[in-house]
Amino acid sequence: MPENAVVTVKAIKAGFKAIRFLADLGIHEGEKIRIVKNDIGPVIVDVKGTRVAIGRGLAGKIEVS
Amino acid sequence: MPKQCPHCGKKNRFHRHRRDYRKFKKGLVFSERLSKPQKRTKKQQIFNGHSIEHKIAFLGNPNVGKSSLFNVLTGSHQHIGNWPGKTVERKEGHFILSDEYFSLVDLPGAYSLSARSEEEVITRNFIVEEKPDLVCVIADVTRLERTLFIALQAMELTENVAIIINMKDLAEKDCLDLDVGILEEKLSIPILYVCAYEDESIIRIKKFIYDSLHTTKYTFNPAMIVYSRKIEYMIKNISNQIEDRKLLSEYPTRWVAFRILEGDQIVKDELAKEYDLADIENKIEKLAKEEQFDPAVEISKRKYNALHHMVYSALSGFEDFKETTSDKIDKALLHKFWGYLILTAIFAAFFLITFYASSPIITGIDWIFVQFSSWVLTSLESINSPAFLNSLLVNGVIAGIAAVLLFLPIIFIFYALIAILEDSGYLARSAYLMDKVMGKFGMQGSAFLSLIMGFGCNVAGVMATRTIKNKRERTTMIIANSFIPCAARLGVIAFLTGIFFQPWLAAIIMLLLYGVSILLVLLTGLIFRLFYERDDPLPLILELPEYRRPRFRSVMNLTWERTGIFLKKAGTFIFVASLVIWFLSNVPYVKPTENTVLLYVGMSPVIVTKISIAEFLGRGLEAMTIPLFGFDWKMVVPLIFGIPAKEVIISALSILYPGGITKVLWTIPQVISFLLFQLTYAPCFATIAVIKSETKSWKLTAIGFFYPLIVTSILTVIVFQIFSAIM
Repeated sequence: MPENAVVTVKAIKAGFKAIRFLADLGIHEGEKIRIVKNDIGPVIVDVKGTRVAIGRGLAGKIEVS
Repeated sequence: MPKQCPHCGKKNRFHRHRRDYRKFKKGLVFSERLSKPQKRTKKQQIFNGHSIEHKIAFLGNPNVGKSSLFNVLTGSHQHIGNWPGKTVERKEGHFILSDEYFSLVDLPGAYSLSARSEEEVITRNFIVEEKPDLVCVIADVTRLERTLFIALQAMELTENVAIIINMKDLAEKDCLDLDVGILEEKLSIPILYVCAYEDESIIRIKKFIYDSLHTTKYTFNPAMIVYSRKIEYMIKNISNQIEDRKLLSEYPTRWVAFRILEGDQIVKDELAKEYDLADIENKIEKLAKEEQFDPAVEISKRKYNALHHMVYSALSGFEDFKETTSDKIDKALLHKFWGYLILTAIFAAFFLITFYASSPIITGIDWIFVQFSSWVLTSLESINSPAFLNSLLVNGVIAGIAAVLLFLPIIFIFYALIAILEDSGYLARSAYLMDKVMGKFGMQGSAFLSLIMGFGCNVAGVMATRTIKNKRERTTMIIANSFIPCAARLGVIAFLTGIFFQPWLAAIIMLLLYGVSILLVLLTGLIFRLFYERDDPLPLILELPEYRRPRFRSVMNLTWERTGIFLKKAGTFIFVASLVIWFLSNVPYVKPTENTVLLYVGMSPVIVTKISIAEFLGRGLEAMTIPLFGFDWKMVVPLIFGIPAKEVIISALSILYPGGITKVLWTIPQVISFLLFQLTYAPCFATIAVIKSETKSWKLTAIGFFYPLIVTSILTVIVFQIFSAIM
């Protein structure tokens, strides 16, 4: 995913704990997010005006379009 | 006739607060100074019939300015401790307004009340069990949706919620315009919109809290957030089934039903004691399958959706997905190459400032204490007080106090720097950057700071674990810190290798020793992983706060707070330990003669005589240590004295070997064995004290002491036997 792209979360295929944590931070199905940084290491996304760093492994389990 | 007070009947009493509030109600100027109470103790305040006590809890996300708001409201009326049995800080304070007593509790920062982390469990239990009169949710106007989420959760739990929306100054800079009226109407709870850093806000906030407690204007409507019909039906279903259970006398029914639907393990376990949940669980599973969602996620999603509509109708000028200044700074600071370079530079500076800036102060304090104790000694001798008492007072008590104060400069500077990093927002970034590197060793990025600080001083290293959120990793790093050679042990290594080896060989050996200790830290991480219950480690999910200029007031507040805790908790321990050491080395007491020597334990001169307990111990252990480690008693005694403070090892060695240590005295296997053993054998007393105060557990403190001792002994025996077989 290129940086600065605004995408919509399609599905999150991760453990239920991680899914719930993300949901509490506002990252859930149907939510629009902006990818701030995506080169190496954790991915940073912009969601609801806040920056959240997500481990690369987990970020790979979030399907976006 | 003297006037009588209508409230308490006392004559000629000036009832400042009530009068103030009348003025205040009339809209007259109400200054902060006027609200200060007359000197009375807390107990009287509550029980003399004048005051009503209100319990207020502050709740909110991390980085919304909750703590600074708490600090400006309570001023110096604060008490900091820990939550019972937990490692999380508990801050309490109070203020008085209009003759009523407001006690405030600053709950730990949390993103939700789902009880996922220790902080969230504490927060939730506090609201349920202690039933505060008002839960004050602090939100941030620049990220309103996120920070109001916890408010919606709190509103399900209690009716007494008020919201303070902070950061008005930032909003004005960003041209954000918030219509508080709309939000208030939609949420139907009192809301205040302020900037907590302005002085005139303080009284507005106090008045707001007062009004929120006394108003009946807002009637809470629990059905405000409309979940889908299926969920509401399910909630009703569960509510009907669980009604009349004992648990529900404490918790709101609807809230319990929601937690069951979300699959909250704590609530379910509690309820399962008196009710069979199998039927409900089947129904939930069926619903989840039918609708293809996770109920917990669905509930959060609905809350966010509801918030989204509310916020968008009230807030104008908010631009989503805008590139902020922080993003631009992050381009450089989180760069895949420059980011690491900057990180190294910042932490190198951090490390150097902590230890170099503190060393002249430490020398100064040391000098003052040496002067002071010699002055006390001469004046005591001049009045002919018994020598035993003199020694106890000077070498025991005064030296004990000195041992505590000598640590203070390091601790203070360390905390001040941490507070600056924390306040500016860089601390979270450093965890982000190090996550990849530390992840290779099964640790999180936040463990990095503790590792680095440990090389300077283990006390600082253990305290740095506060930035680690995961409990298991924090405990691991606390214990593993004893394996990191601190500056004092570096001194011993440099001293001995300089005597026995060529410079180039000395450098290699030093590097090897450092390698061994890092290996031991990483091994400890792996070993602890086996013993802790296998909670599947949550992958990194970390909020990166916006950068901002560190505020002097909040930095100083944080620093004082934490230094105070160190003084109170660890200080007592260090002081007592110093006294114990004095007794060990001076009982039975012998008057100093020519053939006794003064041994400086850090600061305190300990008299080693032919019959002190220390030497007995050394000779006693010789039988065991010579075949295993190759240590004779002259090598054992410095190690014993080194347990309280590693600095002592060198001075003890030079006293026990009056002619100096030369190459012929120790064999090479002996030297290697000694170096290896002293590197990691035991944390110093100050470190043990901090382990105790950070973990709140004697068991972990004991592990922290014996685990390095055992591991090091085994390792040293193996290495010594190999070396003596080869050479």
